[in-house]
Amino acid sequence: MSHAFELKQAAVSYNGTAAVHGIDLTIATDEAVAVVGPSGAGKTTLLRLLNGTVRSTGGHIAVLGRSLREMPPRELRGVRARIGFIHQDLSLVPNLRVIQNVLSGRVGDQGFFGSLRHVFFPPRDAVHEVHRILERVGIPEKLYERTDTLSGGQRQRVAIARALYQEPEALLADEPVSSVDPARARDTVALLTDVCRERGLALCMSLHNLDLAREFFPRLIGMRSGQIRFDQPTAKLTDGDFEALYNLERDEMLKA
Amino acid sequence: MRHVGRRGLVILAIAGAGVWAAWYLGLGPAELWPNKNRLGNFVEFFSAAFSPAVESQGGSGQNIALQALRGTWLTVLFALAGMSLALVVGVVLGFFASSAWWTGDPASRSWRRLRRVIGPLIFGTARLVIALLRSVHEIIWATLFLAAFGLSNANAVFALALPYGGTLAKIFSEMIDEAPRSAGHALRGAGAGGAQVFFLGLLPGALPDMASYAFYRFECALRASAVLGFFGVETLGHFIKQSFKVHYYGEVWTYLYALFALVIVADLWSGALRHRTVAA
Repeated sequence: MSHAFELKQAAVSYNGTAAVHGIDLTIATDEAVAVVGPSGAGKTTLLRLLNGTVRSTGGHIAVLGRSLREMPPRELRGVRARIGFIHQDLSLVPNLRVIQNVLSGRVGDQGFFGSLRHVFFPPRDAVHEVHRILERVGIPEKLYERTDTLSGGQRQRVAIARALYQEPEALLADEPVSSVDPARARDTVALLTDVCRERGLALCMSLHNLDLAREFFPRLIGMRSGQIRFDQPTAKLTDGDFEALYNLERDEMLKA
Repeated sequence: MRHVGRRGLVILAIAGAGVWAAWYLGLGPAELWPNKNRLGNFVEFFSAAFSPAVESQGGSGQNIALQALRGTWLTVLFALAGMSLALVVGVVLGFFASSAWWTGDPASRSWRRLRRVIGPLIFGTARLVIALLRSVHEIIWATLFLAAFGLSNANAVFALALPYGGTLAKIFSEMIDEAPRSAGHALRGAGAGGAQVFFLGLLPGALPDMASYAFYRFECALRASAVLGFFGVETLGHFIKQSFKVHYYGEVWTYLYALFALVIVADLWSGALRHRTVAA
């Protein structure tokens, strides 16, 4: 298996309106890819398609070598458990401790009571493992802090730690740096790309910040109006390509 | 401008309804002043506030202060027993009456279809039971039990637990539904099933508010427990009623002061606890 994600003419429509369509895309198991494009281009839908939280309404989609179409929910849970997802709004439980939020990352592998015990009465080796991951993301001292006492940047690291504790084979990140200042944003993107390289994980991240995308990712996917407009090695892309991607005058203005 | 006008109309309508109700019921300021026959009682009762009885006014030698302590202790016990039962009712019914457990991400198509039928059915039943429990006040429950079985300690606890359980369930279900769902969505994305999403992603976020509300209801349960004494169980209300019947107002005030003290202590305690759970 050499592809983490493989999409052929994939499409998603909500109530008859196409959110994304005609998506052809393959991402290798150790590849890092950034998705760029204006708001509403379908970046989030594409990412959610990749972990099966949005089901495709057309085309073919395979994740970690397995076709998602018509996959029964139990197996779909298994696939989701292998994919970490870092959300724009971090999606942590604010009044739980950091360790509990991180421990809840492994729910996909556990039964109901097993997962409750794991989160609230974790075995010693699980605590050590969480501590190691927090060390890697730079906040080991926050292990037992309540999550809502942390700063925005620290909470982001908790969300990353939770995704890593999942022991995923691929990481998806949806605008992970949209709510932090530029210096933190750079650190976070660097951390995510480094961690994925160390662990051999596929990474697919949507980014508003073009400079960060061009600095950290060897391959960029440009999306607009639910379609892929370019999919190129970063080095081959010119300023003109980006201008065309974000330029509103061309088609959107005519349509309106 | 039109918006303000409409609001003014609503306020006028409410005020009008209040005046009409007062006129219909024949309310007037004169009613607040006791008439000549009652004036003696009135003065006697309120002057007794300055001399609460420590010993029985009937000369039986009974220690009223001790009796008040005993009544207070039993008031607390009944409130605790009633609230414990109400919490169980509230958590179970509150879970089923929240929409969070049956709406949300569709799993398989067949389960989704099944859930579309069964979900609203269970949800609706839970809401109906809650409404029934809540619409009957604890005093009326106590009256019903008294008529049906004679009032025992257990009946008094049930009389308290049923309406309180209903109220807790209603508020709990709303708190669960209002809790942010993003953490639950994230867990679902990590492969969690429905129950895991609920108990790990949703419930922990709602828990501080639920605990805070339960503390508040415990204060209410203390007062209700005292009132249940009027039906015969030996809480403060029981002793107040007995002393009142024979016009031993000094004793009545001793019991009332015990009730004030109890409610104030409970308020301070639950205030401190609430502060810790919500703000920490």
